Amino acid sequence: MPPGALSRERDVREAYSAHSGELYGFAVRSLDDPGLAEEAVQETFLRAWRAGERFDPEIGSLRTWLFAILRNVVIDLGRARSVRPRVSEGGIEPSVEPLDEALLSWQVEEAMRRIGDDHRRVLVETYYRGRPYAEVASELGVPEGTVKSRVYYGLRALRVVLEEMGYED
Amino acid sequence: MKTENCRDWRESLGAYALGHISMQERAALEAHLEGCPECRAEVNSLSGVALLLPHADPERFGPAPQPSPELGKRIEATIAADRQVIHKRRRRRRFGLALSGGVAAAAVAAVLALVILPGGSELTPRQRVQFASLPSGVTINATLEPHAFGTEIHMYVSGIRSGTLCKVFLRGPGGASYPAGSFRYRWGGDSEAVLSSALDLSRTAAIGVHAGNRTFIAPVDQTSAAIDVHIKGEAT
Repeated sequence: MPPGALSRERDVREAYSAHSGELYGFAVRSLDDPGLAEEAVQETFLRAWRAGERFDPEIGSLRTWLFAILRNVVIDLGRARSVRPRVSEGGIEPSVEPLDEALLSWQVEEAMRRIGDDHRRVLVETYYRGRPYAEVASELGVPEGTVKSRVYYGLRALRVVLEEMGYED
Repeated sequence: MKTENCRDWRESLGAYALGHISMQERAALEAHLEGCPECRAEVNSLSGVALLLPHADPERFGPAPQPSPELGKRIEATIAADRQVIHKRRRRRRFGLALSGGVAAAAVAAVLALVILPGGSELTPRQRVQFASLPSGVTINATLEPHAFGTEIHMYVSGIRSGTLCKVFLRGPGGASYPAGSFRYRWGGDSEAVLSSALDLSRTAAIGVHAGNRTFIAPVDQTSAAIDVHIKGEAT
């Protein structure tokens, strides 16, 4: 059995502690339903436990493996709820967002959460809200050059975080 | 060629990658990029990041959603239960091997009969429930499947008024009700409704349906359910 395999309950507990937050975040992003997202994470760890001896850290990281399992679980849950009848008011409708797009969106949003507040703030104001640099600089009480500089270092920080998260072009 | 000149331009590369600089500044910067491979490489890399920005929703940049604190415990409990099923299966295997040929064959035949008859397949982890004591012309059947998250329920209803709201629930061993969702019966439509409940099939004592102002309940036979769960584990 390769070292790092999820062969003991303690291994699963450690894996849960390290990765459940990210897995849940992606599950919520793709299913848009916190309850269903918890089911997805639970099913992911159960499948990982059952197939634990097949996990080989030489091939890929535990995080990557868990995400691959979760992706399949989300597909299964999406299929299951898409065949349900429309159940009166508040019924669940199948998500139309393709799963890979949801994964990419979640990765960028998670990376945005991880960069510094100052960097995120200028990217939100200048890029997402389309505000002029001079206006943002005045609001923040800094020179315009500082806003420009924060945009630059913000993008660099995003790149680093995305690389750490395993994003590949 | 770079040094001072490069340092002056570097911090404009982010705004350039986002298309946020004036025509005049752009022309000057591009003239610099022409002769500076390092800044060119940097701007290419930043442009790749800039292309990802439209995929994110800035409304979601707040604190990441967190699962409920009980989720970890629930997963531990599920895995512990799964471990027990595997353990029992191994014990049964050893027990089966210890039996003499004739007795073992008879035991295998008995188990297969129990499994194949209710589910239609020795690998189908299903529990079929037939509702009795129904009004004339009404039929309600259900198939229950065990899952890690609880129980999946396939309901088949016919003979009731079209448009009737049907609320389905499971009952645990102590009589507590666990909601499994609802659907509207439509005459002539798809007669199957797929629902789910957090209650494990192994702990389900009965299934009920509130249809209009009537409630129908059918017991769930735990003996065959347990065998179905066991066989499912063996198949994986």
